[in-house]
Parts: sequence; structure tokens; C-alpha cells
Amino acid sequence: MKIKTRELTLCAVLAALALALSYMESFFPLALIVPLPGVKLGLANIVTLYALYALGFPSALAILLVRCTLGALFAGNASALLFSLLGGLSALLVMALLRGAKKLSIFGVSIAGAAAHNIGQVCAAMLTLGSGAPLYYLPFLLLVSLFTGALSGLITACLFRAMAHTPYGMKGENHHG
Amino acid sequence: MNCSPKLKPTLWDALVVLTVLALAGLLAARPLFAAKTAGELTVSVSVDGETVERCALSSYEGGVYESRGYTLTVKETDGAVYVASSDCPNQDCVHSGAISRAGQSIVCLPARVAVTLEGAASDYDLIAG
Repeated sequence: MKIKTRELTLCAVLAALALALSYMESFFPLALIVPLPGVKLGLANIVTLYALYALGFPSALAILLVRCTLGALFAGNASALLFSLLGGLSALLVMALLRGAKKLSIFGVSIAGAAAHNIGQVCAAMLTLGSGAPLYYLPFLLLVSLFTGALSGLITACLFRAMAHTPYGMKGENHHG
Repeated sequence: MNCSPKLKPTLWDALVVLTVLALAGLLAARPLFAAKTAGELTVSVSVDGETVERCALSSYEGGVYESRGYTLTVKETDGAVYVASSDCPNQDCVHSGAISRAGQSIVCLPARVAVTLEGAASDYDLIAG
């Protein structure tokens, strides 16, 4: 039972962290360097990636749903919910699938997740606009996702190294109970 | 259920990078295939999913579009179309610059406006010269 409470608390902290990160992102407008709609660092994906490995798919999904719902609520923007949900869910599903491919490192999984996030967001843009026009941006967004995905992969790798001594650092190896 | 991740990049990660690059390349090449009909481009402006203006690029004189409380001014110079000004919060549409080739678009998400350049529609192109 103790572990369960601990996991629940960790989920709550991670959801809060993801919310804070997506807010913080607006202070680093990547769109100033790469002028494309929807370009961002995707820092909240670090939380999804970490949760996926350290806590498993159900917890990662719960954190993602809380982040998207509260994020849209705080921003007071209902259409933002569709964007973050479609982007976040595509990223999570792709990363969860690729996590099973043991040959891939956290970098490969992260890059694939970032690319999937962009594909999901372009789909959301096509749905809201009712036009295929956003598809034109996808190749550029995919190129950018190689860098943002590698960056969040690097940060998550550092996070796992730093947390290696805790039960949530390397759960697979340090599972002492 | 949980597994520890590999923290150092492996050769297999390059496969992911290549896949993403290939996907980007394919998508980028898409307008090239569509634009084989050498002819006049068509400007298509859609607001909230509905096409409000659609005409040949040469006869397009720009326009002002209002949607969702935002106003976009679209202009045309030397065969290129661009959003000259907009009062949307993120200004992505203004920053995306001018478009001049078939398949290119400018999108303003807050205003739900999309400006697209299409290859010459085949019905205009049937005159054999």
C-alpha cells in the first residue's frame, strides 16, 4: 500500500511539473528562430517519457490527461485541449510501443515521440481549420522534432542518471521493493 | 511492466532519425508531384473551414479577412502572397512570410484562416496550345 501512495504522489508531482513546464515554454519562444505555427520545445514530453519508463503506461496516461485538461482549463481555451490531447496521446502511444523495442535508447524513443506529437498536432490543426493546409508545415515540424526530441531525450537520460539511487530512477534494475 | 531505458544513443536510434527524415522528405515532395501542371496558381482562402475566396493568383488583389475577433490583411506582390498584418496573439501567420509555389500555405490558427496556393486546376488547363 505504501508504494501505491508513493506512486500516486509522484504522479501528482509529475502532473504539476508537466503543467509548469508547458507554461515555462512560452518564455523560450522557439517560434522566433523557426517561424512555424506550433513549433515549441515540447518540454512536457520529458515528463511523459520519464513517467512511461519509471511508472508505466497507465500512470503516464493519467499524468498526460491531467496535464492536458488542466492546461486547457487554465488557458481558458477549449480548442487548445484538442491540440494538446491529440499531440500528447500520439506521442505517448508511439513511445509506449517503441519502449518495447529494447534496441532503441531513450533518444530514439524521445525523437519518435516528438515526431508523433507534431503529427498529432497537425491533425488537430487540420480538424479545426477544416482544411489540409497545415499539412504543408509537417515536413518542417518533423525536422525540428529531431532536435527537440533529442533534447528532451538528453534531459530525461540525465534525469534517470541523477535518480539512479532512488526506486524511481532505474526501476528495472533497482527493484528492491 | 516497467523497464529501464538505455541512456546512451544506439545505432538503432539512427533508424528512427532516418524514418522521420524519410517521412519529412516524402511530405515535402508531395507538392512537387502535384505541381506538375505548369500553369497559373490559384489562391484559396478559407475561414473556419469554408472557402471564402478562390481565384487565379494573377487576378488576386489581396484582402482583409475577419474571423473570431481577429483581422488579417493578406497582400500579393510579384506572384507571392503573404499576411501583411494580423492582430492574432502569436503572429505566426505574419512570420511565416510569403508563399509563391503550389502546395504552400499560410495558416493562422487563432483566427482559423488558411491561405493556400494550389496548382492550376485542370479545368483551366485543358486548352491545348
